[in-house]
Amino acid sequence: MSSADSSGARTVLDRAADRMLDAGVLERVGIAIASTTLALLIGLGIVAMSGYNPALFANQLIIGAIGSEAAMARTLRLSTLFILTGVAVAVAFRAGVFNIGVQGQFIVGGIATVMPIVWLAPLLPSGPIGGVTLIVIGTTSGIIAGGLYAALPGALKAYAGANEIITTIMLNFIAIGIVGWLVMGWFQDPNAPSTRTEQLPEYVGFPQIVFSSSSFSIIGLGITIAVVILVAIVIERTGFGYDMVTSGHQQSAATYSGVDAKRTIVATMTFSGMVAGLAGAIFVIMITGNFTNPDGISTYGFDAIAVSLLAANNPIGVIPAGLLFGGLDSAGSHIQIHSDVPAQMIDGIVGLVVLFVAAPELFRMAAARTGLGGDDR
Amino acid sequence: MSVASYTSQRRVQIGTLGLVVLIPLIAVGIETSLFTYGFLNRSLAVASPIAIAAIGGLYAEKSGVFNIGLEGFMIFGALTAAVTMFGLGGSSPGQGYIWIALVASVLVTVILSAIFAVLLIRYKADQIVAGLAVWFIGLGFAPVIATLIWGRRSSGGLSSINNVVVPGLAEIPVIGPIFFDQSPLILLTFVFVAVSWLFLYRTQYGYWIQAAGENPEALDTAGIDVNRVRYAATIFSGAMAGLAGAVLLAHLGSFNASGDTTVDGRGWLGIVAYLFGNYNPIGAALAALLFGGLDMISVQLQTLGINLSSRIVNLVPYVIVVVVLTVWGKTQMPSSVGDPYESED
Repeated sequence: MSSADSSGARTVLDRAADRMLDAGVLERVGIAIASTTLALLIGLGIVAMSGYNPALFANQLIIGAIGSEAAMARTLRLSTLFILTGVAVAVAFRAGVFNIGVQGQFIVGGIATVMPIVWLAPLLPSGPIGGVTLIVIGTTSGIIAGGLYAALPGALKAYAGANEIITTIMLNFIAIGIVGWLVMGWFQDPNAPSTRTEQLPEYVGFPQIVFSSSSFSIIGLGITIAVVILVAIVIERTGFGYDMVTSGHQQSAATYSGVDAKRTIVATMTFSGMVAGLAGAIFVIMITGNFTNPDGISTYGFDAIAVSLLAANNPIGVIPAGLLFGGLDSAGSHIQIHSDVPAQMIDGIVGLVVLFVAAPELFRMAAARTGLGGDDR
Repeated sequence: MSVASYTSQRRVQIGTLGLVVLIPLIAVGIETSLFTYGFLNRSLAVASPIAIAAIGGLYAEKSGVFNIGLEGFMIFGALTAAVTMFGLGGSSPGQGYIWIALVASVLVTVILSAIFAVLLIRYKADQIVAGLAVWFIGLGFAPVIATLIWGRRSSGGLSSINNVVVPGLAEIPVIGPIFFDQSPLILLTFVFVAVSWLFLYRTQYGYWIQAAGENPEALDTAGIDVNRVRYAATIFSGAMAGLAGAVLLAHLGSFNASGDTTVDGRGWLGIVAYLFGNYNPIGAALAALLFGGLDMISVQLQTLGINLSSRIVNLVPYVIVVVVLTVWGKTQMPSSVGDPYESED
């Protein structure tokens, strides 16, 4: 916010925004760490009360998250998705727009990545050049589809006053239904043993560099980190990001300084949906290589809300929060196989993290804000 | 605007809704024998929890508090009902235990929504973030508690409530199968809808609730504590959502905590039902019935040999929700919703 111009209103806004961003950063980190620690401790307590050995469970948690190369790859794979979807949520929440539809935008982005690649693959040469071309086409298509699917509730909110929380939740149901119907119908691979689209060609994928895992590549994580940095720069250092955050935090002030609030809402939702669409693209290119019935796809887009809240809606903060959720999820799949403790315990612990993050967040937000609701209907 | 002109304006809009949506549907339905008593009763079973939650939500919003946590409170209601039934009667609890479970759900959600109301009204927490938090807490806690009690995320089969059959009267055409061989909880829903309409529009406290959302200053000037009215309405909304969850469970007879849980978006549909029904309990109940009917219609179409994909047909309520919010989302909201009220004195 150093690039304040000389206009008086702008300076006032700058100060206000600075205060919003800097005040209580330590407090936010403190809330996040305390919430996570408390949730883990209570989780261990519940494990003990249920008659299992909590020390053994804690040990399994760590082994499952980072105990081997395979575990690390699994953790980073899941973290990649949590970070990207978390950033998608953070973009919108930061601007006071409650995009609960990241799951739907993620699904739409995923299918919009797979199908163009499947259709165009026979027309292009195979090998690395064709692979890169197809990845670029597919990813672009996924990003655009995710952006458009989010622009719709954004426009409905901005120009018709439709509450975005409810429309995005409805659009999640609609995305799951329609994509599921397509995957079971027109898009289904008739030769596949299960319900899914055609498999992407083998040369469409990220190369293995560090981990020898078929579903994680450091390239996917690298793209993710690059996107996080890009989003952080857009929010913190550009006029568009400035308009977004100020219209989220101080709507009247933003309007006075000439920000078109309606257009900002649509732009914010589109931006958020584009990141969610990219998450869908990475999901299919790096991990699955096809698209299945979205009923069975994990709810990354919902957990992303918890990830973003844990990070106080800060894009950079989403990285550690996403790593934490990736680690917990990864440990969950380890525990399912290697331990007597029901793996659902992990979901419980994740739920507790959300609980503790959400609860102090209420007090903090109640103190820090008036008008962040973004509900101007 | 006077309350009288306000309600009459609503009646016109609700009437339009009925004419435009329901009558052609019913005409087509009767013509093609699409509507059977089984279909109607299944639709009522789907609609009743949505309608109960919607009544709670509209009372809160009428009073000036947007309770977006209905879905979360419904999850707690359903979970409490399942746990109570299982705790009292194991995996085959008797009918009496179902009623105890309903009461337990209301008690638990009264406590939870009282905490929620204090956060919103006293501490002026953001109504949207706090409401979402209730949902997440529900989604997070349900699997933990289910896992603790049943060792997995599903309760397995418990009991569902039996119909109340009045011998003789149940044989009457049309009325018999609807009113005299029916789930008591659906009958209770009819009563709730009627009473909540009368209370809101025909009692003094009902006017206070409307004034708390529409013109809190005037209510305050008249010597009524605005925040007390809002506390009552918010706690009532949580209790109704809890009851809605319990009613859902009593009809289904099992609780599943995976994914979006057994509640599966019905609390959200409750919010939309009262928006669609124009903040009128009867309108909200009709909207809930419409959602219930749409939910069940794919089954009916299949019995007639029309093979529309049930997946696509099941999306119709969600699409309607988006359209309704777009067309009507802006118009009828009480003017002071979302604003904490501070008395001048």
